[in-house]
Amino acid sequence: MRNLGLSILALSAILSSSPALAQTLKIGAPQPMTGPDAPFGDKFKKAYSMAVEEINAAGGVNGRKLEVIIEDHQAKNALAATVAEKLITQEKVLAMTGGRASGQAVEIASVCQRLKTPYLVDHPSADIITAKGFEWVFRNNPTGSIYPQGFNAFIAEFPGAMPKSAAVVYDNTVFGKTIAAAITKNLKSKGVPVVVDEAYPLNSLDFKPLMTKVKAANPDFLLMVAVATTDAILLTRHAKEIGVKPRAFVGFGGGFGVADFATQLGPAAQNVFSSAAWSGNPNDPKTKAFYEKFQKKYGIYPKEHEVEGYASIYIIADALKRAKLTGNVEADRDEVRKALLATDMTTVFGKVKFGSWTGPAGDHYTNQNIYSPEHSVLAQWRDGKLLNVWPKAYAETAPVFPEKVAER
Amino acid sequence: MRRLGPWLLGVAALAAVPLFVRTSFFLHVCILVFMWTLLGAAWNVLGGFAGQVSFGHAALFGVGSYATIILYLKAGIAPWWGIPLGGVAAAAVSMPIGLLCFRLRGPYFSLSTLAMAEIVRVVALNWEWATNGPVGFLITALPPLRILGREVNWESKEPFYAVAAILALMALVSTALLKRSRLGAYLAAIREDEDGAEAVGIDTVRSKVLTLALSAFLAGLGGGFYAFYFRYVDPDTVLGIGLSIEMVLIAIVGGLGTLGGPFIGALFLTTIGEAVRERIQVGHLIFYGLFMMLVIRFLPEGIWGRAYRFLARRQAGVPRHGAA
Amino acid sequence: MEAFVQSLVSGVLTGALYAMIGVGLTVVFGVMRIINLAHGEMVMLGMFGAFWGHTLWHVDPFISLLLWAPLMFAAGMLIYRLLLRKIIPGGELNTLLYTAGLSLLVANLALFIWTGDYRTISLSYAMLPMRLLGIVVPVPLAIAFGLAVIITGALQLFLARTDMGRAIRATSQNTEAAILMGIDVEKVAVVTFGLGTALAGAAGVLLAPSLYLYPTVGEILIVKCFVVVVLGGLGSVPGAIAGGILLGVVESLGAVYASTAYKDGIGFLIFLLVLLYRPSGLFGVGKS
Repeated sequence: MRNLGLSILALSAILSSSPALAQTLKIGAPQPMTGPDAPFGDKFKKAYSMAVEEINAAGGVNGRKLEVIIEDHQAKNALAATVAEKLITQEKVLAMTGGRASGQAVEIASVCQRLKTPYLVDHPSADIITAKGFEWVFRNNPTGSIYPQGFNAFIAEFPGAMPKSAAVVYDNTVFGKTIAAAITKNLKSKGVPVVVDEAYPLNSLDFKPLMTKVKAANPDFLLMVAVATTDAILLTRHAKEIGVKPRAFVGFGGGFGVADFATQLGPAAQNVFSSAAWSGNPNDPKTKAFYEKFQKKYGIYPKEHEVEGYASIYIIADALKRAKLTGNVEADRDEVRKALLATDMTTVFGKVKFGSWTGPAGDHYTNQNIYSPEHSVLAQWRDGKLLNVWPKAYAETAPVFPEKVAER
Repeated sequence: MRRLGPWLLGVAALAAVPLFVRTSFFLHVCILVFMWTLLGAAWNVLGGFAGQVSFGHAALFGVGSYATIILYLKAGIAPWWGIPLGGVAAAAVSMPIGLLCFRLRGPYFSLSTLAMAEIVRVVALNWEWATNGPVGFLITALPPLRILGREVNWESKEPFYAVAAILALMALVSTALLKRSRLGAYLAAIREDEDGAEAVGIDTVRSKVLTLALSAFLAGLGGGFYAFYFRYVDPDTVLGIGLSIEMVLIAIVGGLGTLGGPFIGALFLTTIGEAVRERIQVGHLIFYGLFMMLVIRFLPEGIWGRAYRFLARRQAGVPRHGAA
Repeated sequence: MEAFVQSLVSGVLTGALYAMIGVGLTVVFGVMRIINLAHGEMVMLGMFGAFWGHTLWHVDPFISLLLWAPLMFAAGMLIYRLLLRKIIPGGELNTLLYTAGLSLLVANLALFIWTGDYRTISLSYAMLPMRLLGIVVPVPLAIAFGLAVIITGALQLFLARTDMGRAIRATSQNTEAAILMGIDVEKVAVVTFGLGTALAGAAGVLLAPSLYLYPTVGEILIVKCFVVVVLGGLGSVPGAIAGGILLGVVESLGAVYASTAYKDGIGFLIFLLVLLYRPSGLFGVGKS
């Protein structure tokens, strides 16, 4: 019903305005709105809405209103392609964003590249999306192989933090594999033995056997990668129950950073590190303002997904402002693309400038945010709160390390 | 079917559609309907004609998908060769699967196909050297092709519409031919009473394996087309159990063992799915489940089967509420 | 050595819960020759029942078993009466497909109503696991194990000692003979399906504090359930119990000593091998 309403609004906006310049500027965003991934789609919907409201209230983009049209792709690749086509050919959007999961984002990127529509990736992390030379695809957030940079910096810079050995467990998805590969590559280059390197099936119900194996290897650090929140929580819980005793527990993945992690695990979440793409630079007043405003409006504190969605709308709006729009859809899309190429701004998420460069795993990126490596931050759970601990510029507190392992 | 006329008319109408309808999205939906018709027909060959209900057809689809995309990306073999080769690969893979699973009957056969398909998926997910694991394969550019002196534009829908329509037609024609062939007669016997068929001297194993090979070939063609049109293949998308269930659904809702069933099933489910997704924002799978239940309860011959029977009786002048 | 024992214990505990899920399916199959693909969803409903009972009314999940088991029993009887009875004469495959449709419907309806958010039940007395002789045993799992043992024991007694129980076993062995002996087979069918559903719901309630709840969890559970039931022999309750524990142990040991990534594949492989080469189950007590 919401999409129908939005479409009717858009249609009436178009029909009721006479000069072409008074039309709304449309952005398309495929998201999972039904199905198991729906909670994530909802986060992006909230984030996009807040950004659009703010921009329109401040006068819109060069006097024209902004509009985000969300279409449900149910976390299915083929549907993502279908929906992307629909947004581009029927709704005639000027730019696309969203996608949520990497599989769907790859399809959307492929469609946008072929149908010559700019696509700003806000959250999906698979490296290949910006590593195939697609000039119509841009990405603001870090890729999977850049994700662990915050952690890599920590172990290299903090005294005594270089692990003597490490166990790496990860889910069998693009996300899990890419991040695990990036982590192990870095560890190996520093001469750290990786004593366990295990993939587990996504949404496993039981990690006790895996943790039994890890415990037997007695690793110095336990590194867990999980794209699903349940896996993140269960991994940590079972690791602690089985009695794995590393000097540090480090989690990679959104699930390690959500409020549920602390509420479900209670004291077991204490001092667990969480490496995420954004934990909010608390020293920045704009970030603080965004944080509080979002909480007031929606009742929850924004995390990775919300801030990425919010920032992407601002980036597109910025490009739309600078683009020379004539009303010819194909030409306008190219203008938006050119404007995106010239982007040089700071959002709540961080600094943005798109460029072509080589990533840590050797991927040749096109239009990947050159500031991405800085966006990766290491945080730590303390008394139910997730606080940034590294790099120092974004730190809210000093890290507690090593883990004081009390005998239970 | 004696009356070829209506069929030829239908084919001509389908061929004319892209000339009149330019909306790329509409053509995209048509392509989806054709693809699902192909898949429904593929499943129908085994499930409807031979009476062997498979819950693992995604494995055959997936093999076709991977074969086509790997042949193109690694060996440079263009998809118009790759798709049929994908079909052949699926047929080849179906042989050992069939030999193992056909030892079982009825629901046990069905469950064993489910297990096999999941094993294939887990293997594809983990054998990265072969399948790139969860990352999958992406086609970024299709090879240039000239037909009748003109360069084919891969960014438009027409070429894919044509290919999909041809594949779907091929599937329906082959099922028609199968029905009238001797193998088709054997299958009817096997479907009704397998032991009886054996007793009469029919080589049931051979019949079932051949039928599975045809079914697999068609499913593999569908998989190859998927790789060609959607250009991205990963294990969960092309080997997932949801795919297998949807194939079953299409064939059953359309009409098990009927010729036109797969097309009607594909049309019905695709349009309902799109409508529901857009307007009601409720999971369309709720309706799929509901339709499956309703059809089995009230329309066991499927929509096509029921409609066909209704029309046939009208033709024969049987009074509507007369003794059936 | 410690890893081996820990792995074994974990496997047995998890296996007992697999067994509970399988017992319901096998009982229904034994009597009615139905493979109920919606069984996983019934477990899921039990899990959500325990969750809502705990969240809304603060009832301990294990206690709420007393509420949900009878409710699920009634629900099962209704499902049989209203839905399945007309379908069964259409044959095994039709019923299989019908229950597949039902499974899709229930799972996705639950997804729509309760959303895909993951939920857990946190029990205050279950935060820390027990440590017995250096082996870790999570508390909710241990309680669930104990209750599962009691329930299956009670089931066995019911089947062996009561009239209805005997009627169920007789119908399971030979329906025609049972009819001839004057057993109301229709009544047996209704009761059996109710029983199977109640067992599924109970398994869900017991599992809820140890697992994550989400509406589509039935997909994973039903698959484990098949393996258990086929391993133990379709129709045999003791077989399902043994099969469940065996699967739990094999999965656990396999994950520790072989590979975690292929963990699911191991179950399917065993399933296939048993189906093909020992169709009456590892213990030879099943019906084919």
